[in-house]
Amino acid sequence: MLSKLSVEELIEQIKLNKISAEEVTNHFVEKTALVDPKIKSCISTVFVKGGDGILKGIPFMVKDNMEVTGTKTTCASKILENYVSPYTAMAVQKLLDAGGVVIAKTNMDEFAMGASTEYSNFFTTKNPWDLQRVPGGSSGGSASAVASGMVPFALGSDTGGSIRQPASFCGIVGYKPTYGLVSRYGLVAFASSLDQIGPLTKNVRDAALIGNIIMGKDQKDSTTVEKQMNLLKEIEDPIEGFKLAIPKEFTKGLSDSVKNVLNDAIDNFKKMGVKVDEVSIPSLKYAVAVYYIIAPAEASSNLSRYDGIRYGLSFDGESVDDIYTKTKDEGFGREVKRRIMLGTFTLSATYYDAYFDKAQKVRAKIVHEIKQVFNSYDAIIGPTTPSVAFKIGQLSSPLEYYLQDIYTIPANLAGLPAISLPMGKVDGLPIGLQIMASRFEDEKLLRIGRNYEISRGKFPLPEVIL
Amino acid sequence: MKTIIGLEIHAQLLTETKAFCACKIDVNAKPNTNICPVCTGQPGALPVLNEKVVEFAIMAGLAVNCEIHETSSFDRKNYFYPDLPKGYQITQYFHPIATNGYLNLESGKRVRIRRIHIEEDAGKMIHSSENITESKTSLIDFNRCGVPLIEIVTEPDMNKSEEAKEFMEKLRDILRTLDVCSGNMEEGALRCDANVSVIDDDGRSSSRVEVKNINSFRYVQYAIDYEIERISKVLRDGKDVKHETRGWDFVTRTTVSLRSKEEENDYRYFPEPDLPILKVSKSQIENIKLNLPELPDQKAERYMKAYNLAKDNANIISKDKIISSYFEKLVSLKIDPKDSSNWIVNDLIALFNADSIDFNADKVPIESLKTLIEYTNSGKISRLSAKEVLGEIYKSGRNPEDIIKERNLIQVSDKNSLVPAIKKVIENNQSVVEQYKKGKTSVVGFLVGNVMKETKGKADPKVVGELVKKILDGEIV
Ligand SMILES: [Zn+2]
Repeated sequence: MLSKLSVEELIEQIKLNKISAEEVTNHFVEKTALVDPKIKSCISTVFVKGGDGILKGIPFMVKDNMEVTGTKTTCASKILENYVSPYTAMAVQKLLDAGGVVIAKTNMDEFAMGASTEYSNFFTTKNPWDLQRVPGGSSGGSASAVASGMVPFALGSDTGGSIRQPASFCGIVGYKPTYGLVSRYGLVAFASSLDQIGPLTKNVRDAALIGNIIMGKDQKDSTTVEKQMNLLKEIEDPIEGFKLAIPKEFTKGLSDSVKNVLNDAIDNFKKMGVKVDEVSIPSLKYAVAVYYIIAPAEASSNLSRYDGIRYGLSFDGESVDDIYTKTKDEGFGREVKRRIMLGTFTLSATYYDAYFDKAQKVRAKIVHEIKQVFNSYDAIIGPTTPSVAFKIGQLSSPLEYYLQDIYTIPANLAGLPAISLPMGKVDGLPIGLQIMASRFEDEKLLRIGRNYEISRGKFPLPEVIL
Repeated sequence: MKTIIGLEIHAQLLTETKAFCACKIDVNAKPNTNICPVCTGQPGALPVLNEKVVEFAIMAGLAVNCEIHETSSFDRKNYFYPDLPKGYQITQYFHPIATNGYLNLESGKRVRIRRIHIEEDAGKMIHSSENITESKTSLIDFNRCGVPLIEIVTEPDMNKSEEAKEFMEKLRDILRTLDVCSGNMEEGALRCDANVSVIDDDGRSSSRVEVKNINSFRYVQYAIDYEIERISKVLRDGKDVKHETRGWDFVTRTTVSLRSKEEENDYRYFPEPDLPILKVSKSQIENIKLNLPELPDQKAERYMKAYNLAKDNANIISKDKIISSYFEKLVSLKIDPKDSSNWIVNDLIALFNADSIDFNADKVPIESLKTLIEYTNSGKISRLSAKEVLGEIYKSGRNPEDIIKERNLIQVSDKNSLVPAIKKVIENNQSVVEQYKKGKTSVVGFLVGNVMKETKGKADPKVVGELVKKILDGEIV
């Protein structure tokens, strides 16, 4: 039954001497060995032990785009298939220092570009609720591992929804902290101005617990900020009198079944004395378009370094250009190539003003309009995803995949903290409620999330049949 | 015909560590020893700006009269090359730290400086053949990767290659005075690209040609002159001058085409998302300004006013802070400033120049030169002997007194011992004596010269002159 316990509960068990830290670690290592062949969450299983701290013996998994010394960090790409990390990412290091144990590196869409893990160069991860379906992505390996009880928590990264969307699909909690709260040092960059590391957990309290450990100013990441906060301290204080906004743009075109689940959530909030209003944020309709200009542009530059010269896949060639061409052609998958080309195009001198520069301006407008809402509301809520997990192979066009992130992208564009937590089921599959708060109001965000979680009641995770 | 020249100059900054990581900068280190995840472009590594780089850039900006911006930012310049591990160079494209400066040349001509921005250097490549395309193998040393640079871009305000050379030298002197760059072009610490275009007498203007790889101050002039001549000839032949980038080949002393403008990279500049906006406060800038060392022009001005030095001497001494501090120490030891400047400029610097090495105070200790000047001024040794002694000190570092003693250079100024020698010369030059008696007093110099020869240069020419006149005039018999 250990697999069902939350991080907090496990810590409690160890503290009460009901079980040793080693036994906890071993239990999850064994569980992973049993369950992973079915779910395929892990790219590599590893064993990296940390120090002595609150997390002593607590195992966790790390998305395979974060460096952990001595482990392969593949980004689910052929180009880094055999790349071994020479250093450890700051967020992982903090968890290790707190006593955590890394037991696997998890599957993802190649370089975090995707929403299902179908764009992994290695294999597609299964959704523990229905093995025919995707776990979401790009942090699908981490989400499915937590949902299937292989680990009590895992780290993911979120550039346009890559923590929250798989959390929604797998029925767990996914928390993307405010941009600048958690160091990106050691997170393989996809789109630097949007990327953020965060935890995937079984409940909001665990998200706060892990958040507390990984946050903080890092000298090695100049975009981090010094903020004193304790996400757990007031997490269960009541939220009576709070005001929440639901943007029309987040509910337009939703299926009735999703709407019903959302309405239940709204009712829960109302019962707690929270006011919920419908608002309009007109510029949100441009969010996906803006994202698909900015993210590929930054990616095209960030992925330039995989050139076959220093590390990673490398093909010999007649000339330097030949080495580049062969290496990149063999090493990158279709979606990655598509985004590199898109980004290269929008940054080119001829199109810069028409695309990248314009996108930056619209991004500023979106940020401004969202800020206006926060002048009168404590948080913005809505569904995390338009629908529940889709079937493996079901989506065919890139655009269909891109629309998966329609509700999650705005938080990345504005650098906001956001969380997805289960709000119910549609056709037997989980779907998440997304809450977004103002920048650096992570405490308030998690407090709202925790209060909702309590009002909702338990959300049992599926039993994977072996 | 008119020539238009603009310069783009890269200066390596003398910080202890690199621009965006904590790696040491050491030109003598073994290849690939001063490297880390950041400067080798490992996945997930992030740049962190070295504050010293900002300070040095502001110092340089202030010294060349630039406006320093309280807000500037970093951008990425994207291109592929094996010595560029990230696939982009971090630079300041949209909002540089300094703009709108100038330097005045000796002629009084003002060369405007458009901008100064901070960026990072690439690694160093060693090819098995001439260049990367012909090489079977190439090696990369990433020690230089991430070394901070400032790029200084002038307006096209120069019209002669000499002006470009003078600008470069002037800039080097300033950067060296600030101690922000070694100024060594041969070692690549200071690099110059020249943009050259020519307007012929019919008013037809050529395209702009960029000349790269100019690796010495002399070559700044040679390369530009070569290019002016080449462009002029193309214009004379009635052909179109290609808008292109050419490289200076110092072996053949020609420029060769590197790439046409169509082959030029599209650098896809965009704001660097890994670095926040660079903010410097007014007080920070003021503080740097207050602590700026005296610049060569200001120093020369002071030397002319305070010590009455000739302009040329003042300029030469003040442009190198090692020379100027040598000069000032000499003056502080109660040596006449004009004497000091003459000795330094005419004798001492000449020795270093002859060996093409930098001025080095250790080779001729200040005390030695002081002694030498005092010996000369008191008439103990002749100016000629002093020059000889200086050469010996420069060579061996020996004590001047020992050299003078050993070579027996003390001047004979004792009248009694000189008179016989003078009388002998007069005896042997009776025709000259006749001319003197007819009123041609200028022949005294000739006689003095002969006396000097007779005494092997040890006589004091002043004393000899007086004695010669007295003997001829019959005052001494
Ligand atoms: Zn380094």
